[in-house]
Amino acid sequence: MYKNLIFMAKYNIDAKYMVANSLNELNEDAIEKLWKLFQSIEKFWGNDENIDRMKSNFIVFLSNRIEIDYNYLAEYSNAINVIEELTNELGDKDAYIKLLTDPSANISPPTTRLARARQLVSNEFISLYLSLGGFKHFGSKLNYQGYFGGANTEKVIPYRTNKDIK
Amino acid sequence: MNIDTIIIGTGVAGTAIATKLLESNPTSNILMLEAGDKQTMRDFSLFQNFLVTNKLPNDSNTIYDAFCDLDYPKQETIGENQSNGNTQIPLQGGRLFMYGGSTGHWGGWSFRLKPEDFKLKTNTGKGIDWPIDYYDLEPFYLEAEHFIGVSGNNNDPTFDNLQYPYNEFPFTIEDGPYIDAFKKLGINHSNLPIARYGLPKTAIINEQFHAPCQTTGTCKYCPFGSRYVAANNLDELIQKGSYPNFKIITNAVVKEVLMESKNKASGIIYYDKNSNKEVKIYSNKIILAAGAIESAKILLRSESENWKDGIGNDKGLVGRNLVSHPYFFFKATLPKNEKMLQPQMGFPTLVSRHYDSAEEQWDGKFILINPVSSPKVNLAKSMSKGMKKDEIINSINQNVTVQIQGMLEVFSHRDNRVLNSDKRNRFGLNETIINFSKDENFDNRMNYIQSVVAKIFEEMGAKNTTMEMSTSWRADHAACTTRMSDSPNNGVVDKNLRVHGVDNLYVCSNSSFSSLGAVNPTLTLTALALRLGSYLNKQ
Repeated sequence: MYKNLIFMAKYNIDAKYMVANSLNELNEDAIEKLWKLFQSIEKFWGNDENIDRMKSNFIVFLSNRIEIDYNYLAEYSNAINVIEELTNELGDKDAYIKLLTDPSANISPPTTRLARARQLVSNEFISLYLSLGGFKHFGSKLNYQGYFGGANTEKVIPYRTNKDIK
Repeated sequence: MNIDTIIIGTGVAGTAIATKLLESNPTSNILMLEAGDKQTMRDFSLFQNFLVTNKLPNDSNTIYDAFCDLDYPKQETIGENQSNGNTQIPLQGGRLFMYGGSTGHWGGWSFRLKPEDFKLKTNTGKGIDWPIDYYDLEPFYLEAEHFIGVSGNNNDPTFDNLQYPYNEFPFTIEDGPYIDAFKKLGINHSNLPIARYGLPKTAIINEQFHAPCQTTGTCKYCPFGSRYVAANNLDELIQKGSYPNFKIITNAVVKEVLMESKNKASGIIYYDKNSNKEVKIYSNKIILAAGAIESAKILLRSESENWKDGIGNDKGLVGRNLVSHPYFFFKATLPKNEKMLQPQMGFPTLVSRHYDSAEEQWDGKFILINPVSSPKVNLAKSMSKGMKKDEIINSINQNVTVQIQGMLEVFSHRDNRVLNSDKRNRFGLNETIINFSKDENFDNRMNYIQSVVAKIFEEMGAKNTTMEMSTSWRADHAACTTRMSDSPNNGVVDKNLRVHGVDNLYVCSNSSFSSLGAVNPTLTLTALALRLGSYLNKQ
């Protein structure tokens, strides 16, 4: 009886943003905007053309932050709104630079929307970026706190050792 | 309920004892009681939370602060507990009330005491000697290193007969300048033995195989369970399904130990937070493994016709002779850092036990550590401030802060003690009163240590040695409050950790140390627990 139905199994559809889809509230457009913020961190401090390799980790990170604290949905929404407003005011490039560097966003406690976007969103993205390999742009080559350097084996040691000095 | 053994406390001591008893008799009827609740371990989202906030799920001032003591009361805050004397021993952050105990946040440093540590009275006239010596404990040190999975260097000349299950973590490049300075100054140094699983050296260990350390640097919340945590160990015992009569109850606050006669304990009374009821349980033997503070407090609370001042306290020694480790922080400025040295991992790899020696014992032995935060570079912080890449690189390249940290042995005094308060804390336990005053020689000793540290920094080319922050007397290493002794005249438990004068009540925690030495106590505690397990299996 099913012969005439056009059937497409779910496992064949595009698997893009699987984790995020399960959240419902954070849609694909919002994730792309936050991903652009993450990319702006790389543009400002790094030179890694391969940043797309970090994207799946980035999406899992968003999911986990919301799982730990549901308020992050609001924080991410706020950051997106702040970026849109800054973009209208300063243009695309300078909007991100202001969010990432403007001293007024460092106020404590973060009582402005800009400060919340910096301290609860972009600063956390910075830590994530470093842990996914961004630290390599600052002189440390093999390992850094937060990076999964690997197991300690006799053949390959996953960090710079004292022997590397010689 | 017919219980063979009640173990109070689910930290490493209780876990090691339970494991040992179950290995010998898988049908043993063992009940573990834990005052705290369970915390999710090996969770990737909690790991990422730690990564970006530097807050452990069980840290104070987080949504999970239900596992910690509050700070002492201040004018503007209610707080918990009471600190008397000229030196404050902070309880906040020092211990965790949770399933798995304080291994939930420990660093994993796994040092053996040295032979002279067991002869403190003989060598210095201070404190007491242990009623056992190093060689009595040596086989259990070896067993303990396998039990908690220590990575260490078998060729470390500090000890003979080392057989660590996992290879040492080699010295980091950041250790290099310290090692060069140590060599020039004739200061011994070694790899820091640490309870992080590595890749197994032999197939035998495959039975206990865990995910090896991935050097994430977020060790205090390891997403893989590679750092030893008693909570994971207990989960594995339960999940194994081989121990039908092994049970753990959380949220069970032990009020007192019951005695049926002067020399025989009959059971305990605990307050069940889930049902809001008091529960009485009878048992053949009882082991207090609730830490140096709570174990002593339980004995003190257990007053009866036979023990009017608390069990084992006829000589007034329970809760007394409290010691902990003052942890010190020194820093200096390194003018050039051309190799761009910066922290790579979350645990140190270099220790000097040069001053942890018989020669230094009279004044107080100490160890020196190159801490994980040295050189003090924090890329995330610099970027979050909005510093540009060139500015950050320049800040790493020159005038970086380097650090030396360490611990000093201090000595027991009768007036330094813990007591029960009448107030109850959030866990339902009696709050703690701590009376503690530092030795009058302490400041002189710290000045001496600063002079040693300054020479090391000078040899490294670093300048302006200063204390980075006040010495921390935190209660992480609190000990000696029911100390082990040959006689009830100078201690509370005997060499088998049995309370003097009671046939079936044992105390296995740092409280049973006769003296503390200069190193982290957890490996020694684990060895004592395994030794107690062996002893009980032979009874």
